[in-house]
Amino acid sequence: MELQVQLLMNTLQIGSVYVLFALGLTLIFGVMKIVNFAHGTFFTAAALIVSTIMIWGVDTMGLSIWLSYLIAFVLALLVVCLIGFVVYVFGFQYFLKDLNGSFILSIGLLLLLNGTYLILYGGVPRSVPDVIPGNITILGASLTLQRLLLMIVAAIITLGLYILVHRTKLGLSLRAVAEDQEAAMLQGIPYRRVALYGFLIGATLAACAGALMATVTPVTTVIGDDFLVKAFIIIIIGGLGSVVGAILGGLLIALIESFGGYYFDPSTATLAMFVLVIVLLLVRPQGILGHAEK
Amino acid sequence: MSMKKIIGITGGALIALFSAQTTFADEILKVGVSAPMSGAAAAWGLGFEYAAEQAVEKVNSEGGIKAGGETYMLELHAYDNKYNAAEGAKTAQTMLNRENIKFIVGSIGTAPVRATQALSERQGVLLFNTGWGKSIKGPEYPLTFTQMNTPFEILAPFFGYIKEQHPDLKTVAMITPNDATGQEVEPVAVKTWNDLGVEVISTDRYERGTTEFQSIATKIANSKPDGVDFGAAPPADVGSIMKELDVLGWDGVKIVAPGTSAGTLSKMAGGAAEGTYLGASADFQGDSASETQRKLNEGAIAKLGESLNGITISSYDAVMALKKAIETADSIDPKKVAETLPTIIFESSYGPAAFGGTDVYGSPQQILIPVMITQVKDGKAVEVGRVAPEELRERLK
Repeated sequence: MELQVQLLMNTLQIGSVYVLFALGLTLIFGVMKIVNFAHGTFFTAAALIVSTIMIWGVDTMGLSIWLSYLIAFVLALLVVCLIGFVVYVFGFQYFLKDLNGSFILSIGLLLLLNGTYLILYGGVPRSVPDVIPGNITILGASLTLQRLLLMIVAAIITLGLYILVHRTKLGLSLRAVAEDQEAAMLQGIPYRRVALYGFLIGATLAACAGALMATVTPVTTVIGDDFLVKAFIIIIIGGLGSVVGAILGGLLIALIESFGGYYFDPSTATLAMFVLVIVLLLVRPQGILGHAEK
Repeated sequence: MSMKKIIGITGGALIALFSAQTTFADEILKVGVSAPMSGAAAAWGLGFEYAAEQAVEKVNSEGGIKAGGETYMLELHAYDNKYNAAEGAKTAQTMLNRENIKFIVGSIGTAPVRATQALSERQGVLLFNTGWGKSIKGPEYPLTFTQMNTPFEILAPFFGYIKEQHPDLKTVAMITPNDATGQEVEPVAVKTWNDLGVEVISTDRYERGTTEFQSIATKIANSKPDGVDFGAAPPADVGSIMKELDVLGWDGVKIVAPGTSAGTLSKMAGGAAEGTYLGASADFQGDSASETQRKLNEGAIAKLGESLNGITISSYDAVMALKKAIETADSIDPKKVAETLPTIIFESSYGPAAFGGTDVYGSPQQILIPVMITQVKDGKAVEVGRVAPEELRERLK
């Protein structure tokens, strides 16, 4: 029983970040109808900024770890928003609903930004000090307090996004545009502005995931790429453009990784994810909660 | 004097002047490096590049390499192979076809080494590498040489030492990356443990690039092994797994045969890294280090913030072996240099070294240097044992 709780706890730990990351990707697809292969670079940028600012805050400025992390977190979100704004204004806004064009653009951006990070930060993995050191045991399952904090923050952000999408005017616009862009525009919804907001929210979600993960894993200049592959699997399983689908998909992938990794091995678990995607594409190509294209 | 004559004399004078200049100018000999300079194994690639740079600088400052009546100055070209076969093939194409490099003084990772080897052997290029796979050496690959100790040299003395220190070590769980390096290391490690009377209770593989290790840590901790053998995992991955094992309360013998970067390991795992045995690290600050190693290490710490180790320093040794072999062969023909390499004794960073290993690989393509066993103490690698290969001792007699 303790083992099952531990594996479930592992699922939540892994899934919380997957969900955040995948939500951004699916939101961008839903609103802009593009697949952003550069999404991982937002994650990477935030993780790198946190790893730099935190160490600067603690070692150079003598600030407390908490304050340093808070400053680093906010700064990471602001910088990623700025990067997102620039790449949208100078790039993506010209390729809305253009899968081929946006594919080429995002691959180019991925190479450009990854190369830039490598020049700026070098290739050596970085680590940041624990914001909350120590471990906790819940129903016999052990985890670090740092991971617990990460799970709680990720859950709050996910809930916040859900409320934003389902209970606010902006959310209504986002959903309307995702559902039928022409009809939304006929109702007076400014499509390009809503697309920009959707893109920035997506980038911010990736930044949140990156800033949270920086505290629990070695930070490298390609860390976001590893999450990108999983995020694609998640949104294909959940249904492209579906917020709830991304949450379900993220947790399902984490469940496979956690239980598969334990009962078989991590490589087999990774293989199982791809098999699942293949099967799903054959029997339900639109994903669990996606809508079939007419 | 006719215009024709004037042009002829001027042209002849210019040709003579140009020829004289080129006679005195040194030739450039390009040497290549292909190593991971980003990602989890970046610490290896960056240190590797640094050591190669230092060797090239030393060779050039001492007047270059002399062969066939020419003096050659070395020019280093280093590329990031990201520790995978695809990038290894890409960097090989760049080195061999764009830069026309004939001597690769270092390549890290069995998968990228194999990708490079596919081209280098065909195009007659000499390839030094750190690949741990046995399959990359042998009479069918006459231009490939391994520049550091591999499992066949390290594991028996390394595991033997650990077993001596921990007689109660009866079971080991193994985790290794699911790539060419991991796949080739695993059976050798399992056999070596079994020969020592230690049972390997599980062998698991993970994909390089994995960031979440909770499930595998849970599996290992739950099987309660006396020790964990981290196979061919790089330092950042080992650090992450150790951290998770620590959270789960597992505290046994930690063994990293390709364990190199005690600094990275301690940075990632914190206190959980203490006591870890490393098979490819080195205490280049300790008493047993040579003057060259000490100097190189100090430079690496100043530039990269990380000590050198068995992998990273090997590019220095490859350059030194190459210099001696070219000068002995009196030729820069890679085939002649390759034929000469097994016959020479050269001055490596460890002291006199050679190439051998015919008994294991079928041809003498393995560098013969001491195996150093280190342990992480206060975040640093401290040498606890050293074993010199029997074949080298014989050659030096």
